[in-house]
Amino acid sequence: MTALLVARNTFREVVRDRVLAGIVVGGLVLLGVTRLASPLAMGEGLRLTVDLGLSSISWLGLLVVLTVGTALVSKEIDRRTIFNLLSRPLPRPFYLVGKWLGLTAALAAVSLLLGAALWAILAVMGHAGYAGSIAEAVFLATLELAVVNSLAVMFSALSTPVLSALYTLGFFLAGQWCDDLRLFANQYPGSLKAMIETAANVMPNLSLFNMRTLAAAGQPTTGTHLGIATVYAALYCACVLSLAAAAFESRDFK
Amino acid sequence: MVPLDTNQDTRPSGGMQPLARAAAGRPTTGRTAVESSPELAVSIRGLTKSYRHPWTQKLTRGLEGLDLDVRRGEVFGYLGPNGAGKTTTLKILTGLLKPTSGWATVLGEPIDRVESRRRVGFLPEHPYFYDSLTGVEYLEFVARLSGMHAADATRAARAWLSKVGLGERERQVLRKYSKGMLQRLGLAAAMVHEPELLILDEPMSGLDPFGRRDVRDLILEQRQRGTTVLFSSHILPDVEALCDRVAILLEGRLERVATVGELMDGCAPAVEVRLEGNRLLEIPGRFAGVLERMDAGGTTGLRVTVPDRLQEILGWLLAEHVTVHSVTPLRPSLEQLFMAAAEQSAFHAQTVRRMA
Repeated sequence: MTALLVARNTFREVVRDRVLAGIVVGGLVLLGVTRLASPLAMGEGLRLTVDLGLSSISWLGLLVVLTVGTALVSKEIDRRTIFNLLSRPLPRPFYLVGKWLGLTAALAAVSLLLGAALWAILAVMGHAGYAGSIAEAVFLATLELAVVNSLAVMFSALSTPVLSALYTLGFFLAGQWCDDLRLFANQYPGSLKAMIETAANVMPNLSLFNMRTLAAAGQPTTGTHLGIATVYAALYCACVLSLAAAAFESRDFK
Repeated sequence: MVPLDTNQDTRPSGGMQPLARAAAGRPTTGRTAVESSPELAVSIRGLTKSYRHPWTQKLTRGLEGLDLDVRRGEVFGYLGPNGAGKTTTLKILTGLLKPTSGWATVLGEPIDRVESRRRVGFLPEHPYFYDSLTGVEYLEFVARLSGMHAADATRAARAWLSKVGLGERERQVLRKYSKGMLQRLGLAAAMVHEPELLILDEPMSGLDPFGRRDVRDLILEQRQRGTTVLFSSHILPDVEALCDRVAILLEGRLERVATVGELMDGCAPAVEVRLEGNRLLEIPGRFAGVLERMDAGGTTGLRVTVPDRLQEILGWLLAEHVTVHSVTPLRPSLEQLFMAAAEQSAFHAQTVRRMA
């Protein structure tokens, strides 16, 4: 319950932040530009609009995570607003979960808004039937952002905003190429292979959340894919937040 | 008024309770066998906090073997110069710092239990808030974190904003509040859930005289409704006006617990004698070390450091045909109070050693 209170407060704080408003406006402008540029795509305008539209949701979401999420906890520590919260009957793990949940809700709202804008553009282009695949792609993009956000919250609880942003970006990029990393591991013998595979397993498998190619063709994904992606995201976030909570529990706030 | 000086017996060198002595120095576990008395709002035994420098690994003691009891319903002043360990103690009590060793209970609950903070209100030094929230949103939020239901929290938030003079600004975002307003909001946040124990770190800091008077009134009001108040301060008149007892902390060690009156008695008293006009007076040899000149603003002043000889000095001044304008007892400064406490503590320790 207290985690939900922190989440609500975080959500309120983030949506009132001018950074988020700027990113949303930038995203809407980007979608508009994509629509205007689509006639130049030699008959691939629809595919380009969907692909770029869904990519912009992921990348703008990542931008929110890197600018807001990576400073989410460290800013509270620096500005000492955390004193007013942790001096109340609020367990520290609940505080972290609340911060993550609040920003994830804000990211979901941004994804939903940009997804709805993308669908509106497609409807204007006469392709309102893409709604299902767009909705699924937006759902998966939100799961991806939730995973990346959990990493940002963990790093933010333990490090400075700049380092947190660098670590989070590193995990995001490595997570995009998880499958390639596993293939790469096969080229090496024994222990080196095991090391690279372990690294690939520790990284979030973000390619699981990418259905842009399917959505660009107007095709939905399977229920199994959505289910596996949801369970994977939930487990990954739980593991990362548990690690963060364990490290945060013994921290002193001077 | 509560009986005095109970804490003097609980210092590490004094007569700590056997059970407490056994537990002192043991890290807090939350399952400590020591039970605090129901009469005590705060009970601290052997509390130590050390910091290790991350690069040099050099150990710094923030707090050393602190033993302290604060009784329910009393206003307790926590005094000490900067770096004495006041804020460290208050942060340990509110769960923001983890003690290196020792234990403490708050309203009967060990401090490492989150529940110990349910009936506690805390105002940190120089409180900071979320800029984008309004006053009423912030108070609602913290009231709910302290366990109030939504409707009660809203009602209490509005009532407390009015009480601290911010009622007309309840819909204004906090970035538009002045420093004094934020301090008042911090006080409201500490009290909004009607805690049984208030822990205030420098509550008068950043306030103008009117603000200080309001805070004093609020603390007195809390005392009337039976709330225990533990607060740190640098402002002696505030401490004098509010506190039943005070503790003096120097370099992480508890030096003394007493009433303000007792502390004042411990200081070397002095009297200022101010004379009409600027007089050329030669101080007789018999008053050497007893009288000091302190001329100011075109008038002559004399500081009498041994008030027992005041009559003799006044007699001498009259014999010299000097018009005495005023005779004023001088209040000791906080620094003098700290010095006196440190000297008395050293003297007390020497006496105990000799008796042993």
